[in-house]
Amino acid sequence: MARFGMVIDLRKCIGCWSCTVSCKEEHFLPRGMFWNRVLISESGKYPAVKKEMYPVLCNHCKEAACVDVCPTGATNKREDGIVVVDADKCTGCRYCLIACPYQQRTPYKDDKVEWFPGQGFTQFEILGRTLYPLQKGTMTKCNFCAERIDEGQKRGLKPGVDNDATPACVISCPVNARIFGDLDDPSSKVSGLIKVRKGFQLHPELGTDPSVYYIN
Amino acid sequence: MEYEWMVRYTPQREWIEGQGVLLWLAFFFSEIGAGIYFVSLFLNFKAGWLVGWLVTLVLGGLIHLGFLGHPMRSWRILLKPASSELSRGLWVIFLFGVIGFFQILPVVFSGLPWTGESSTMSTIMGILCILIITHGFLTMNVVRALPLWNSSMIIPVSLVSGIWVGSQTAELMLKISGQELYMSELWSRWSLLSYMAVLFVYLWGTYHASDTAKESIKRLLIGDSAVRFYIGVLVIGIIIPLIITLVVWGNGFEELSGGVLFIRFVCVLIGDLTMRYSIMKSAIYTPII
Amino acid sequence: MSAQQEKIWEDVWVNTTCGGCYCGCGVRVRRINGVPVKIEGIPGSTMGGENGGVCGKGAAGIMYYHDPNRVTKPLRRTNPEKGIGVDPKWKEISWDEALEEIAERMKKIIADDPHKVLLTNQTQRASDGPHNHLYFYGAAVGQHANGCFIIGGGSLHCGNAAHMMGGLIHGAWSIAPDWRYTKYVLKFGSSKGTGSGHSAMTNARLRAQAMERGIKEVVFDPMCNFAGGKATEWIPILPGTDSALALAMANYILNELQVYDAQYLKAKTNLPYLIGPAGTYVRDKDSGKPLIFDEKEKKIKECDAPVQNYGDYALGGEFEVNGEKCRPAFMSLKEHLKQFGMGWASDITTVPAETIKRIAEEWVENAQIGSTITIEGKTYPYRPVAAVTFRGAQGHSNGIHQVAAIDLLCELVGAEDVPGGTLGWPSIRRKYPGGNYERKTIVGPDGVIVPGVFYSHIPWPPHKPKVPCKDIGCVDFWPHATLSHIPYVKERDEIWKKLGVTAKPEMLFGIACNFIVSNCDWQATVDFFKGLFVVQMDVWVNETDQAIADIVLPDVTWLEKDCWSSEIDAYFFSGSPSYEDWYCHMQKAVAEPVGECRFFMDVYLEVANRAGFRDKYNEIVNQYYSIEDEDLKFKPGEQPTWAEMGERVLKWVYGEDADKVKEQGYATWHKPIEDVYWRWEINSRVPVYMEFLIRARNEVERVCREVDMDLDYEQYTPNASWFSPTTYKELDDEYNMIAYSYRDVLHTNNTTFQNPMIDEVSKLCPYTYTVTMNTDVAKQKGFEDGNMVWIENRYGTREKGRIKTLEGQHPKTVGIAGQGGLWADMRPIAKGKGSNFCKILPTYLRHYDPVTGNIETSVAVKVYRAKD
Repeated sequence: MARFGMVIDLRKCIGCWSCTVSCKEEHFLPRGMFWNRVLISESGKYPAVKKEMYPVLCNHCKEAACVDVCPTGATNKREDGIVVVDADKCTGCRYCLIACPYQQRTPYKDDKVEWFPGQGFTQFEILGRTLYPLQKGTMTKCNFCAERIDEGQKRGLKPGVDNDATPACVISCPVNARIFGDLDDPSSKVSGLIKVRKGFQLHPELGTDPSVYYIN
Repeated sequence: MEYEWMVRYTPQREWIEGQGVLLWLAFFFSEIGAGIYFVSLFLNFKAGWLVGWLVTLVLGGLIHLGFLGHPMRSWRILLKPASSELSRGLWVIFLFGVIGFFQILPVVFSGLPWTGESSTMSTIMGILCILIITHGFLTMNVVRALPLWNSSMIIPVSLVSGIWVGSQTAELMLKISGQELYMSELWSRWSLLSYMAVLFVYLWGTYHASDTAKESIKRLLIGDSAVRFYIGVLVIGIIIPLIITLVVWGNGFEELSGGVLFIRFVCVLIGDLTMRYSIMKSAIYTPII
Repeated sequence: MSAQQEKIWEDVWVNTTCGGCYCGCGVRVRRINGVPVKIEGIPGSTMGGENGGVCGKGAAGIMYYHDPNRVTKPLRRTNPEKGIGVDPKWKEISWDEALEEIAERMKKIIADDPHKVLLTNQTQRASDGPHNHLYFYGAAVGQHANGCFIIGGGSLHCGNAAHMMGGLIHGAWSIAPDWRYTKYVLKFGSSKGTGSGHSAMTNARLRAQAMERGIKEVVFDPMCNFAGGKATEWIPILPGTDSALALAMANYILNELQVYDAQYLKAKTNLPYLIGPAGTYVRDKDSGKPLIFDEKEKKIKECDAPVQNYGDYALGGEFEVNGEKCRPAFMSLKEHLKQFGMGWASDITTVPAETIKRIAEEWVENAQIGSTITIEGKTYPYRPVAAVTFRGAQGHSNGIHQVAAIDLLCELVGAEDVPGGTLGWPSIRRKYPGGNYERKTIVGPDGVIVPGVFYSHIPWPPHKPKVPCKDIGCVDFWPHATLSHIPYVKERDEIWKKLGVTAKPEMLFGIACNFIVSNCDWQATVDFFKGLFVVQMDVWVNETDQAIADIVLPDVTWLEKDCWSSEIDAYFFSGSPSYEDWYCHMQKAVAEPVGECRFFMDVYLEVANRAGFRDKYNEIVNQYYSIEDEDLKFKPGEQPTWAEMGERVLKWVYGEDADKVKEQGYATWHKPIEDVYWRWEINSRVPVYMEFLIRARNEVERVCREVDMDLDYEQYTPNASWFSPTTYKELDDEYNMIAYSYRDVLHTNNTTFQNPMIDEVSKLCPYTYTVTMNTDVAKQKGFEDGNMVWIENRYGTREKGRIKTLEGQHPKTVGIAGQGGLWADMRPIAKGKGSNFCKILPTYLRHYDPVTGNIETSVAVKVYRAKD
């Protein structure tokens, strides 16, 4: 079975926020909810400064703290390594959010939030509630676009190779800074990049073994 | 500033702000209920059993439910005791509820074929009490992402503070029901001194554990939480009760009027609540970048 | 999408062109049940990001369509008073009433003098073309040049100097490194390949591939953010001083290292042209052509005489022609550069002399002078170094010299329009196989290229500065101003009087242009425009509409727009400068227009029909596309709609494939390598030595003396030189910092501020909505992150902003992104976000580049605490 993962090429990323916005459209996420972000900072002292810019999303950790702490099994890891939340089982205790060292979870608390505050829901929001309903009081998170992967695989497509079986943020990246694929397959592009370009994980010391790697 | 999120040290909010404040209260009530029960077991103070049982289950339980996004699904929390501390906690509370029910029933209804004083039952309940007292902090303790909670010294703090609060409650109830306070005051003395010791060790040990832990402790002692900590935890929670306790210790039990006991009780409650609040509030995540 | 299938009755993707910025990438929009829900790139097209990629602000485009704040019916101002803070008291009116009034007024005004009507040549929505048709419109009305075009959107901060030089050097509006083959890139105040600039995502995609290959990118910029933050090396520099650095580098290369591409200089520049003591060309008596000295034949020849080997042209020596002493222009340049030493440049730029020297050495080393490369069987010089600049470095009162000096670096090593060097685009457009429309450059007077695809005020051949000026843009007098700055200049009334302008404008007919807040001092702009009858077609009531518009007509967003010409001309900067297929996209309507919204081209045509100048417009369109097919030509009396026009033009452009292309929404066809490095193939020359400026100066100086106008005509000088930007003359102990602005990848002018998806991510970026300042300087001033401050210029105009400190910022500077600080009531998302930089730009004539009309985009300011 595959273990899906992602490699993010920091040298290529220009910080255009396409991953953040595309993700929101793909899942009709309401204002204020992010499954993808870009963190921006800097290191060094003037004039020897380096801008630090990290696109972040759920790391779909192999040793996922969120899966361990979830008391109901709502947060679970699929066989292909994707960590998902079954909203029907979630009690909304937020233990997973507390436990996640990367803070990559957003509870859906307020279903009255509008894109244009005080001006009612747009057609986009109304349609989104039908097509991609979120349950108030439950936890939400990046699911590596599991729907796309599942649908695509059913049609014989390969995640990371065919757009329709690949996460939206990967496709939308205008500079191909995000590469998706099977970490367990040594011949996959992600495995190759991690090996050749010395991919690293965020906070490896926490033992979570993230499936999202960065290369520089 | 939103752009500082996980770029700088980022405090946990979900378990202390907004609806999260309920979890703080829930942990507190579950803990002091169990504390009352625990101390009452030793003092064989049966009214304390009932009160402790009710506080843990009704107050603690209901507030816990209020904290959840989907309270009606709370039974699902029982499903993962092997991996989740929260699940184990609910099992403990469940067992505490059931076994405690049978222990307390003879207190309320006379003529039952058992008394509730069996040492087996008391031992089991004593263990369950300890587990409940430590449950809140144990739940927090497993979160490796928050070094302030992940400190190994947090469990002793939790246990001792639970007993300390429980002893005060029980002692007050003993006083009200006109019973002997000698044993309970001994409990109070030693739990207060232990509390001071473990709290100090916790703060000192955590400060030296990691950069993020150090930053957390700084926030607790010199940062945003400092005023709350010094007034709530130190002055009200420790110094005032310490003075009262020492005066009683030196002068004998005649000083231990109901009023004094009540003052100490209130101080201890405030101190414990503040201590829990401060620790929950000051927990911060290490920046991602 | 875990879609519940039974609820979906439609789920389609429509190919179109993004309207999120002027780059116009190819995108496809997902429409479910009639609702646009998602925007992605088109995997089959290279116009834009990689394999379906699109940038964040492009992806967020659906929100323009969904915005409940849009204008959906024509509005008329009922309050006769105009100004900032005045309630227009809008009243809804019918389309017919609006159109009738507009047409009537226009008819009357153009009968008097067509230059009394102003048009806008950039929309607030930027890429929402067609842009060239507005020029046709102006011409149809009877305007003779672009002086009646009001600059909005990108505003004067755009690249007057960069475009002019781009036109002269590359026959192109824009420049970029040849990402595919380059190894070493110098960027001066430009974010090409890192989010902004023309063809932004195309360049970003190509740059990313180049980075993967391992190129070195050195960025000179006051800030380590978009460009600097991604560079291999960021070198902080003071705004507007890039030319000093480039001149010192050029001097070092030419006079100390003495390494340069002589073959290129002889073959492709005017440096071998002989110049007399006055600095002007020595010309052949009969043909009037400049002369050169052929070393092989030891003979003076006309500059374009056929030679076997370009190496024969002399770069040195002293000659005599017709009794006049002369020498190659190269000698003048070489001597001229000697004054620009490393220490001198370091003092001006704050870049250490050793660093400048090192970069110069790296530059020469990487240029591989003498090497060649064979691509597709063709052999070209291989110069894998590129120096590019855009708005940041060129937006100064010394703009032309900034660009010329930076260009000089490429010229010296021959890295222009050859593999690996700096490329210009769009320069040419090759016709679609089986189609008909093609645009090419030609070689004009003195061997300089006449661009075939140029947006505005073609730079070659330059016309003679002359008075009286026909229009308020005074482009007759400023032959090198790509877009006119005069309507924004404080002394405009005086200038118009002196330059004999009689066409006092009476009406403005614009498209979503927000020029009140996007150019400079707001009040100075309002004061002039409020006297006009202002009609704007707009998606929202923007700040300009609220302050001065009389009628606002509801326009469609790009998601409802059916525009066949969007990119048909490779016109507005979506093209790829690189060696990859030609492509051309159109905009297809993804959804029905909201309310009573109408596409502005339909409105323009309707007004043309009613006001009686449609025939002229038709004629211009025929000419522009060189339509020869009688069936397809637009004939007098015909009044086809915009869509109907498209049917015919597309047939002409794409021949039999027209329907297929229209259905697909775009066309791609092979670009041969000769179309990439086309300049190597033609016998043209770059006027590195800007001899034309001497000639222009004579006229400019004469007129200025005559009419007593104070203009810094010293800058009309042939060799790239150092002129300190006005800002530095206004720095003192009180106004001791330099404020500048830069383009944020998330924002296009100010349109994007009303998009809630963009607004949301803007808050996640530390710099987008803040005012940035060096950490140590902020500390000295007692500022902390989040403090509110005033940024005030010495003329008393100030803007409020929230401080964000960063190490990666030149200590002398304050940075503000984009055009925030907005206040239009009907744009609630935009209102109050960020800070407005434009308003603190002083706007006296001395703040403009006297040659190209660029406004000085840095300003001396004092920064002090405001109430939080």
